[in-house]
Amino acid sequence: MADLEKLITVAKETVSRDDVKYLIGWRQGTYGFRVSPHFITEPEEADKLIFSPLCSNNLATYLTLVEKLPVPRGQEADTRKIALMVKGCDSRAVVQQLVEQGIKRESVIILGCPCQGVVDLAKVEEKFPAGLEQVAARWDDGKIVFQFSDGEKAVPREEVLADKCLRCRYPNPVLADTLLWEEVEAGSSSDEYADVSELEAKTPEERWSFWEAQFSSCVRCYSCRNVCPMCYCEDCILDRLNPTWVNRSNNISENTAFHLSRAFHLAGRCIECGECERVCPVNIPIMTLNRKLTKEVREKFAYEPGTDPASKPLQASYRPNDQENFIL
Amino acid sequence: MDNMKLPKEKVGDFLAKLGKEKFRVPQQMEGSSKFAPLNGESNADFTLSNTTVPPKSIFYPQTETLYRYNVGETAMEAPGEVDEMIIMGIRPCDARALSTVDKLFTWDPVDPYYKSRRDKATMVGLACQEPRTNCFCTSVGGGPASTEGLDILMTDLGDSYLFQVLTEKGEKICQEAGDILVKSDDSDVQAAEKLHNDAAQKIVRGIDSQDIPEKLPQLWESEIWKKVSDPCLGCGACTFLCPTCHCFDIQDEVEGLEGRRCRVWDSCMFKEYTLHTSGHNPRPSRRERTRNRINHKYSYFVDKFGVIACVGCGRCINLCPVNIDILNILSQVKEAL
Repeated sequence: MADLEKLITVAKETVSRDDVKYLIGWRQGTYGFRVSPHFITEPEEADKLIFSPLCSNNLATYLTLVEKLPVPRGQEADTRKIALMVKGCDSRAVVQQLVEQGIKRESVIILGCPCQGVVDLAKVEEKFPAGLEQVAARWDDGKIVFQFSDGEKAVPREEVLADKCLRCRYPNPVLADTLLWEEVEAGSSSDEYADVSELEAKTPEERWSFWEAQFSSCVRCYSCRNVCPMCYCEDCILDRLNPTWVNRSNNISENTAFHLSRAFHLAGRCIECGECERVCPVNIPIMTLNRKLTKEVREKFAYEPGTDPASKPLQASYRPNDQENFIL
Repeated sequence: MDNMKLPKEKVGDFLAKLGKEKFRVPQQMEGSSKFAPLNGESNADFTLSNTTVPPKSIFYPQTETLYRYNVGETAMEAPGEVDEMIIMGIRPCDARALSTVDKLFTWDPVDPYYKSRRDKATMVGLACQEPRTNCFCTSVGGGPASTEGLDILMTDLGDSYLFQVLTEKGEKICQEAGDILVKSDDSDVQAAEKLHNDAAQKIVRGIDSQDIPEKLPQLWESEIWKKVSDPCLGCGACTFLCPTCHCFDIQDEVEGLEGRRCRVWDSCMFKEYTLHTSGHNPRPSRRERTRNRINHKYSYFVDKFGVIACVGCGRCINLCPVNIDILNILSQVKEAL
């Protein structure tokens, strides 16, 4: 069970350390069920930290997203650590970043938050249209309890949890310096990739007409790329102009090139936090594309990214008994 | 001209009489909504609140071909004439956004691409009756029944739409529609006014924006910019889907020997925005980019054109993945001085 007192105590201690630059957690947002990432440099700011079924954001993305600005002459680079609160899925992102040497182990303090699943805001707002009132939430057995000013409302978890949480196999952080409370039971969730199979069963023409409609609505805001903790190339092919790999024009050809490049770059790397799909303003089912590749990687190479800090990246590992029968 | 009424069962007739191909109407697509041409019978949805993609995309599309050319030749092929359009069901905030952006695109020099579409368009607005949580049009000079930028204001009276005719363009539409429209009387106008007032009462969020333009320049180095931009992902959701954001980039896109010069939406939240050829970027981090987004809307545009370039539609608040909330930023601006 999430222990807020413990969380705040540990956060205060952590952020008081001389070797810590800041801590990233979650706080209640400005309205409704929204939550915002909370960057803390002072102990008193820790009082606003929360951990609840509303804490969807995968904060691991900030480990690589924050700009590394040139250090002014005569000054030394700030090498202090970043402290980060992680759920199970988020911790897989940190592990995968470590495996790929995208971050250094000594530069991060991982505060593990065993998690019973976070909500899908669309599902929640369908039941309770978002008002201005800030609503908190908590887990209670198999239910999610929303705390409105005029009383609490409990909903069975299946009705409001994000799809990724309903099939979660890693509710507990796979790597943490401090585990903030006791681990939760992993439960019997399994993942049969039903969403992927459904698309696989269609003809190529049907599949294309599905994705064509989806990619056509893309506005190329790149929120899916930017929120992704695994999309951290300093020089992204989407930003390149010389040569231009993907034109800036919004049309089905360029949009498809963008989405396929993004998906392929995540093959064997996507840790299935679902952030890309959560943030998409036009609701493209991006995870279905990612999960097709995840399924292939798991079936063909028995590899699951972000689960073992000592492992090698999929593309950098080879086993003599790796399957080859699918290579044309 | 007198006010008219369009009975709801006659909407199909109205569209057909004026020419379906002329209409751009709000439509619910797969996972989002936007303005698009009518197809088939009638896929217009006048119950949507403001669409996910704002109707700026009609006048200032995300990708605009300025001209086509063949590499090695000097001839250029300019785009053809624009046809008449009727934008039906646009919300008052989005119509105000277009009259705001007009000031920029008809500045010196006038933008012929944008201007020709604006000239050919008749704007039939639809008053809001159910503002959303993050709507704050009344804080920035608008309102659920603002007529700015409209030729006709429609109000949903239940079984019909009241047409309040505001301009000659609006009159022309009504004349063309002929007897599909019926006369309205004073009681309809009174009913509409009550609905407009009720809608304004339903707006729950707001800010006194008057002193913001004068405060912002004094906060250039304020610590608030770092604070509010810490969670920012640097994506373009807030700007691309903002009805007044109008920054663009011009690109030459060439396939084989066929090239086209096109104008595409750009976002001040992207890291390649204002990136110099030298590699220097005057806005090197999300702090400067966020500061620019707010200053452009609430300070620079006000200095240049006398109006705030924000119409309070709430899209940037609704769609931000990390709950960066412009009203929250603005209240911090007000508190900081």
